[in-house]
Amino acid sequence: MTQTAFKAGGAAVVAASPPAGRRVRRSAFQRKLFPYLLVAPAVCYLLMITLYPGVYAIYQSFFFVRFNEWIPAGFDNYVELFQHDEFWGALWNTFVIGGIALTLECVIALALAYYAYRDPLIRGWRIVFLLPMLFMPSAVAFIWKLAFADGRVISDLLMRVGLITENIDFLGVVWNARLTLIVADVWQWTPFLFIIFVAALQAQDKEIEEAARLDGASWSAIFWNISLPLMKPVIAVAVILRGIDITTMFANVFIMTQGTPGGTTETISFFIYRMGFRTFNFGYASAASAVMLILTLIIAQLLLKRFFRSGRA
Amino acid sequence: MAEIELRNVRKQWGAVVGVNDVNLTITDEEFLVLLGPSGCGKTTTMRMIAGLEDPSAGDVVIDGEVVNEVDARDRDVAMVFQSYALYPNMTIYENIRFPLRMRDVPKARHAELVQRAAEMVELGDYLHRKPGALSGGQRQRAALARAIVRQPHVFLMDEPLSNLDAKLRTAMRVQLKHLQRQLKITTVYVTHDQVEAMTLADRIVIMDGGEIQQIGTPDEIYTDPANTFVAGFIGSPPMNLIGGRLEGGSFTAPGIRVDGLGENAGARNAILGVRPEDCHVVGAPAHFNAKIFAIEPMGDQTVVSLSTDGHLVEVRAARDYRAPLDSMAHISFDLDRLYLFDETSGERLR
Ligand SMILES: Nc1ncnc2c1ncn2[C@@H]1O[C@H](COP(=O)(O)OP(=O)(O)OP(=O)(O)O)[C@@H](O)[C@H]1O
Ligand SMILES: [Mg+2]
Repeated sequence: MTQTAFKAGGAAVVAASPPAGRRVRRSAFQRKLFPYLLVAPAVCYLLMITLYPGVYAIYQSFFFVRFNEWIPAGFDNYVELFQHDEFWGALWNTFVIGGIALTLECVIALALAYYAYRDPLIRGWRIVFLLPMLFMPSAVAFIWKLAFADGRVISDLLMRVGLITENIDFLGVVWNARLTLIVADVWQWTPFLFIIFVAALQAQDKEIEEAARLDGASWSAIFWNISLPLMKPVIAVAVILRGIDITTMFANVFIMTQGTPGGTTETISFFIYRMGFRTFNFGYASAASAVMLILTLIIAQLLLKRFFRSGRA
Repeated sequence: MAEIELRNVRKQWGAVVGVNDVNLTITDEEFLVLLGPSGCGKTTTMRMIAGLEDPSAGDVVIDGEVVNEVDARDRDVAMVFQSYALYPNMTIYENIRFPLRMRDVPKARHAELVQRAAEMVELGDYLHRKPGALSGGQRQRAALARAIVRQPHVFLMDEPLSNLDAKLRTAMRVQLKHLQRQLKITTVYVTHDQVEAMTLADRIVIMDGGEIQQIGTPDEIYTDPANTFVAGFIGSPPMNLIGGRLEGGSFTAPGIRVDGLGENAGARNAILGVRPEDCHVVGAPAHFNAKIFAIEPMGDQTVVSLSTDGHLVEVRAARDYRAPLDSMAHISFDLDRLYLFDETSGERLR
């Protein structure tokens, strides 16, 4: 890549040189530097908007932050964090809610994709399935909140259909509340995975499927033996992207449950938010963020390694 | 075990015609070779037999039953794909075993059958590798092994040996022929290679432009070509086709005069066909006299190219034949091995 950048740069210099065709000679140092100069603006920009706040947060996590002063705290924030039940609770909630939602999303999206990808209509119109993602997350959260609220749409519908006899308190009972968060997330994000999986299936070599057919495989056997294993890397990437996104689940929690009942729907993001902006314990919130960052990186790295190694020959 | 019949089968995609009105009966236990230039519809024909492509018109009949609506899976054919179509996520062993698993062959026999198929294609050492870690020829042999590991109704093989070196190809050819004779399974085999076609086939089907040009035993195809396409396609070097005039039993063209070709009275333009091995270099002026353009020693023979009227005629001479370029050569033809074709339609006249 640097090679190309250099060539392109060299050509530009030659083209811009005077009509006599005199070549501009540059020192080895300059030639090495040139590609870096080209990417420098983009790198600076990225550093500013991502790295700087990140590093700042980690730095902050080693202080007790008061309004007027920062008191050095060493690892005290971390020690306190690891002894804090609410932190572990939030971690567990994130894991449970995110895990179930992600699993459901993957399974539903995969199943739909597998039944749908041969359909020419869906090939042509798959963009339609992106609609739920285009809605503003907070608006979606409000709609779901209204739908699930005590005695509202969902309960009413279920009663009319005759599945239940009395109102269900969706937002007031632990697992019901978690369920509402899961449903909201699944509704909004399954299409995203669906589209990725459809694209992956459509990219697979048709002749391999034909060969399997002639070898006597049923469609489900083809799926389990061939399509699914070949999709592993795509699934891994999708799960990692979605997983990172889901661990930072905030809007739905903030709008629909605020962590209630009894903190059982409080996700890590909401916990960090609460520590930072409700109790103004910024150093503590930063410490929680740093821990989450490291955890996420480790898990993502493990997943990537595992799936990409087994996907190769 | 299986007789296959194609009745007026046609395949087109929009305006593109891949196969046009093919009628063909493949008898039980026959080894049929489809031969033709690239893009002539061989693969398409085969895919229609397999059930991977629906004919646009006509019927595919297997054992007297129209199978147009029968799913590929239920036709019980085994196919070697031109592009191999190995399963990239499985080892070669798993690839070869896959049809056994899917067709409910008892598990206990899998290892033995896979081993036997792999050994037949000389692939025993690579069973634990994945297709991505094999060379083109090795992949091709793996695809072949996957097809022959079980005993289907029909074998369909789309250029299964095209990527192998000459030695391996000869060895595989013999293996395949033996296997087919032993199992007595109807086989349709596509190839570009004439030698393969000649040596393997019970009958050869020559195709061009989606249409069948001739069906016949290798001998018939070689000695009795139906038209100029077949004549010019088969043989290496192929038959010389020389345009000229036919009048009163004599054929004339620049440098050529052949008498005694029947009593055909009416004068007409015609094409003379003569195989290189039916030409003999002689000392004195004969049927055909022309300048030598090139001499190619082949080891067992020498191919001499003569230039006449802007195109080349190839002649087979003795292995030690040598002559200076541009010198005159005199050629006599075997009169009873000359062919005449109509100039416009290319159909055989004599
Ligand atoms: N899916 C398709 N859509 C349109 N045209 C096609 C399609 N498949 C094949 N064809 C055309 O049909 C003709 C026959 O193709 P086919 O693959 O049967 O050739 P072939 O004889 O197997 O050639 P080769 O020896 O190169 O493999 C070709 O002209 C090809 O371009
Ligand atoms: Mg082909």
